[in-house]
Amino acid sequence: MVLRQVCKWFEILAVFAVVVFVVMLFANSPTAPTPVPAAAVAAAGGIDGGDLFGARCAGCHGGDGSGGIGPRLAGRMVERFPDPAAQITTVTEGRRGMPAFGGRLSAEEIAAIVEYTRTILGT
Amino acid sequence: MSNEVQVTEPRGAPNVVFLGAVLAGALVAVLAGVYGQAHAPASETTIKLFFSTTLHFKAWATTLSLALVLVQLATALWMFGKLPGGEAPDWVGPVHRMSGTLALLVALPVAYHCLWSLGFNPDPGGGRRFWHSILGCVFFGAFGTKVLVVRSKRMPGWALPVVGGLLFTTMVLLWLTSSLWFFRQFGIKV
Repeated sequence: MVLRQVCKWFEILAVFAVVVFVVMLFANSPTAPTPVPAAAVAAAGGIDGGDLFGARCAGCHGGDGSGGIGPRLAGRMVERFPDPAAQITTVTEGRRGMPAFGGRLSAEEIAAIVEYTRTILGT
Repeated sequence: MSNEVQVTEPRGAPNVVFLGAVLAGALVAVLAGVYGQAHAPASETTIKLFFSTTLHFKAWATTLSLALVLVQLATALWMFGKLPGGEAPDWVGPVHRMSGTLALLVALPVAYHCLWSLGFNPDPGGGRRFWHSILGCVFFGAFGTKVLVVRSKRMPGWALPVVGGLLFTTMVLLWLTSSLWFFRQFGIKV
């Protein structure tokens, strides 16, 4: 009897969870890139590619670039893309399972992420 | 003289009701696929709890879901008298229901990341991600159909085992195309 009651409560919880799931699919928006104040950009000399990588790329490529769903990036980008422009194009336009970031990040932000993957992540 | 009026149910009615449940499940599957395809993937991490990455969480959550589905299979076989040891005790039915509910609860955050963050991922050559995407949609469609079959008293007798079997098979294939692949690529770690 108790077990059946517990079952019932679990099923009510499941219905609630499904509703929340559906709502979140439509209501949850991807995190917009944090605008960097002009003064901070001037002081730092540019956009922080590491921060952007953490927010936008780490989910698939790993926080340290060691890979996950996406391939390993750490230590490989310079060899893989001798010309950084080709890597920028790949990030901008997407490739196979990787979405295009051209519509979500500015050209400067993509350049900063690419620079980060070719320098900090390569060390 | 008897005043009894014999009422006969139209033949084929349970099959029609079952068809309705199948169509409802198919609609759920198609809607999941359409969302995955139409929605721009967020490419962000979502839930990871105490795991090192979202992917580790997903691999282990899917494994837990599979384990619960195995409990479902065992309890179903017991209830249908397919296991030795006689009639199933009273607690087997509620355990069957609860394991199914828990399997769904555990699978939901995994499905959320797949749909919202990654999207439907067709590979031109039909690779692992393509089949996993298809199976994910089929799983939730089959789950919807099973809920309707369980709740209706007008289903044909063979409907529940067939839909339950489809759900079980889909879950196994989902695990093979995700968690097993992940553990083989990255090791069995948290």
